[in-house]
Amino acid sequence: MKVLLSWVREFVDIDEPAEAIGRTLSLRGLALEGLEPMGDDALMDFDVTANRPDCMSMAGVAREIAVVYGLPFRAPSMRVGAAGPGAPDAGAPAPPSPLPAMPITIESPDLCARYVGAVADVTIAPSPAWMADRLSACGVRPISNVVDITNYVLLELGQPLHAFDHARLAGPAIVVRRARPGESLTTLDGRPRRLTSDMLVIADAERPSAIGGVMGGADSEVSSGTRRIVLESAWFKPQSVRATSRALALRTEASMRFERGADPTIQAVAMARACELLAQLGAGTPGPAIDVHPVPHQPTPLHLAHARVQGLLGMPVPADEVRRILAALGFEVAPAPGGWSVVAPGWRVDMHRDVDLIEEVGRHHGFEHLPATFPGVEQAPAPSDPRIARDARARKVALAAGFSEAISFAFIEARHAGPFQGDEAAVALANPLSEKFAVMRPSLVPGLVEAVSHNRRHGRRDIQLFEIGTRFSPRGEMRAIGLAWTGLATPDHWSGGRRDVDFYDMKGVVEQLASLFDVELTAHPPAAGSVAAAVLVPGRAAALTSGDRCVGWLGQLQPAIGDAHDLPASDIVYVAECDLDPLSPTGIAPARMTTPLPRFPAAVRDIAMLLDESLSAATVRGTIRSNAPATLVSVTEFDRYLGKGIPDGKVSLALRLTFQAVDRTLTDGEVEAATTAVVEVLAKKLGAVRR
Amino acid sequence: MTTMDPSVGTDRARALFDEELAGVTSAAALQDLRNRWMARSGSWVAAFMELVASAPPDQKRALGRGANTLKKHVEAALAEREAALAATRRPAGAVDITLPGRAPRLGCRHPLSLIREEIGAIFSRLGYQVLEGPEIEDDYHNFEALNMPADHPARDMQDTLYLETPLTPAAGDPPTRGLAPRAPQPLTLLRTHTSAMQIRQMERHDPPVRLVAIGPVYRRDSLDLTHTPMFHQVEGLVVGRGVTLADLKGTLLSMATALFGPGQDVRFRPSFFPYTEPSAEVDIRCIRCNGGGCPMCKRTGWLEILGSGMVHPAVFEYVGYDPDEVTGFAFGMGIERVALLKWGVEDIRLFYENDLRFLEQFGR
Repeated sequence: MKVLLSWVREFVDIDEPAEAIGRTLSLRGLALEGLEPMGDDALMDFDVTANRPDCMSMAGVAREIAVVYGLPFRAPSMRVGAAGPGAPDAGAPAPPSPLPAMPITIESPDLCARYVGAVADVTIAPSPAWMADRLSACGVRPISNVVDITNYVLLELGQPLHAFDHARLAGPAIVVRRARPGESLTTLDGRPRRLTSDMLVIADAERPSAIGGVMGGADSEVSSGTRRIVLESAWFKPQSVRATSRALALRTEASMRFERGADPTIQAVAMARACELLAQLGAGTPGPAIDVHPVPHQPTPLHLAHARVQGLLGMPVPADEVRRILAALGFEVAPAPGGWSVVAPGWRVDMHRDVDLIEEVGRHHGFEHLPATFPGVEQAPAPSDPRIARDARARKVALAAGFSEAISFAFIEARHAGPFQGDEAAVALANPLSEKFAVMRPSLVPGLVEAVSHNRRHGRRDIQLFEIGTRFSPRGEMRAIGLAWTGLATPDHWSGGRRDVDFYDMKGVVEQLASLFDVELTAHPPAAGSVAAAVLVPGRAAALTSGDRCVGWLGQLQPAIGDAHDLPASDIVYVAECDLDPLSPTGIAPARMTTPLPRFPAAVRDIAMLLDESLSAATVRGTIRSNAPATLVSVTEFDRYLGKGIPDGKVSLALRLTFQAVDRTLTDGEVEAATTAVVEVLAKKLGAVRR
Repeated sequence: MTTMDPSVGTDRARALFDEELAGVTSAAALQDLRNRWMARSGSWVAAFMELVASAPPDQKRALGRGANTLKKHVEAALAEREAALAATRRPAGAVDITLPGRAPRLGCRHPLSLIREEIGAIFSRLGYQVLEGPEIEDDYHNFEALNMPADHPARDMQDTLYLETPLTPAAGDPPTRGLAPRAPQPLTLLRTHTSAMQIRQMERHDPPVRLVAIGPVYRRDSLDLTHTPMFHQVEGLVVGRGVTLADLKGTLLSMATALFGPGQDVRFRPSFFPYTEPSAEVDIRCIRCNGGGCPMCKRTGWLEILGSGMVHPAVFEYVGYDPDEVTGFAFGMGIERVALLKWGVEDIRLFYENDLRFLEQFGR
């Protein structure tokens, strides 16, 4: 809201410079957004919050200044008849004119509680410079004396006015009613508007000539040829104006004020002011105002208990101070048991409960007087969301494995999301900001690949990134961890050992994550049609299950997906994603009792077996496990060899077997027998030969 | 090297030895020196001993003393130098300890994640439960129960992102109190603030309540230096008997001190939010100029950091709390805003680029 200091001074004698006023008001609820010195004058731009339509006028801001500085305020109703700047010496008011009365009918009093109308004979001309300058300074384009007067009163008092060309009104009559089916109106901006029956219109005897509280019609617009006008000063229901304004996507200075709530008591005052200006500018001769007021304003008194003021604010405010503040703001304050009975003035449409009054008392007494205290603790704190601690543990593992933490936008391009959706639909936004943010990510990996690409473009070769966040599907939200890794497996070092990241580097990290939550993951070839099959290179792709639940996937990213993110084709990127809730909804691995340390030594035997290359390590391990002697406590693969000395189609797999008993030291004979048993099982079931 | 000539006398010989010893830097040179001075025959010491043996009896005693003194000196000096050389010798298998080590690769924390964790820790210490919540919300929890019914002008304050197709919420614990529809509502929008969690928690639990909710929120804001369509928020809520605005001030002062260091101050400016009454914007003392006025605080000495207020009685009615029995305060703060101020980041978009050159500045 742009406010001209000289204009404000017509309502309150404030001598402070604009900058000081702005600083002070900012601490009382009107934040100064901008300040433009204009010679002796100044233009102040205040950020008026949605609850304070009363401050969307010079008078309203002046009233706040008067309360803050303890100065008298000249109410608008008392000023009618007083001269404005540049006014000729007002002589006697013009004699009553013999203008025809205007029949005004309100058919929808639920949407229009009051309608003040007046007819005036006018001579259209440009406004005087003082008025045109004030309007221009406040961002309103001067048009003609009559139109400018309506805008001037709007800025001065906050009451929107409208002027119709009397000659263009059929009847002539004013009918305030809901639009009829099929009615339409071309508004002042020249656009045809289709009206619906929940919209309020100001009609003449036949058809709509304005959309109530929003905009007038082009047909009845005041023009240079206009000789007689009908002036309107009305109160329209906020919800109705807001709904109409939204439905038509049409916001005006009038609609902004009506939808927040105009003062229901100011219509006649605003009309009188407009008529006064008509006469003062020599723009016209107004007839008597007709005030149709089917629903009178009946404010409800609010009870304000003095104890409640301190109870809510936590600072004492003396009774005299409470009274002073409320009275200065225009409230009627009467004593009542324990406090006061308070009636809000018409312009304070935001007063519904005692807390609204307490805010007025608090802000004008000054929040700077608040002490710094602490709320008492009545009971032990309730537990926090267990996912926070769980995610923190997963984060530690990823950081320790060399991954840096990424945070990406949760919405991505539809083409990037597609491959990661599997057979599910996208969770698309109805009103995305742009194509880049069109759908909610079905996976964290596209965002990570985008980040890898960003870092590659900025000169990085070795990149490890992870993100813990939400991924979305039509089934809902899932918390997941995603990982991406490209470049060297370990940091470059003068001692050599350079090696690019491979499948097992990434798998190891995922295994560590699973072991953190005491979960065993099994890797399977991805099923046809699955996300893993769609986004990973065949043969270097694994779907991960825990029990029979699919919890994630890992492998080498399809170059086509990297390409969609502008990654060089030669880049090899390993990616993984794991849902965290199935791994551990609570973050706490089930409590386990400790086992006593073994009292007898373990015996270790290494065996190398020649197997069909197609046999997976899981098959070998499974075969051993399901036929194992009781003393076998662990099986580990420690070498896998293909090449010289190994027949085609075969592989040499070296296994380390550890045997141990809880009650005795195993004899060499026992260990040898158990080892032989393992070798025999592998030979029998898998056709393996010991090397 | 000096020519051996015992006729110079033991004093001169001793000086010559000391000179030669001073030039010795290797074990081999030391051995050579030892041979030339101490060998059983042909050495300086041997030559002096022969001189003593062949001397007339009356001179033997004096000559012998001189020769012995020289011998002891040479022996001791050689032993001392030998020990000194041994101390500087590289042991077998020695490494160059000045080459760089093989550092394990450690990842870097994201700054927003650090602030999130820090704020969570501050409020855990103050006895708050720390919550997260759904990012896709229904209209009731994001707006209506926060005193923003369908036609409320304040809805324009936050430009909302809606889903093309609403999602069906998972069956969970229904609210046990308040005006919430008992049947779960379709999830239609991305939450515009973490305040929705206030409602979800209150309508399932009796007062008192003391929580912070942290997580991403979404608004239809174009990307620029200070706006992103997704950002992170922390929401605080305390409800109980006799909770006051002054309690909010103490709490926020404590948070500001923990986040930005001692000597902090907070300032309340009256404002408007539909879900609080009274409402206040809260400023902290400018962390760069400490209140003196600088470009960062636009010469005001203060930095706006959050919005807050006393929970609106209408909100209590929505969740089934009695506004005559309990009062409460609430505040909502942008995590990015804190990070921008704390680390002097000038472009909020950096938080979402995941550029390692940026992330690595926040330590491991």
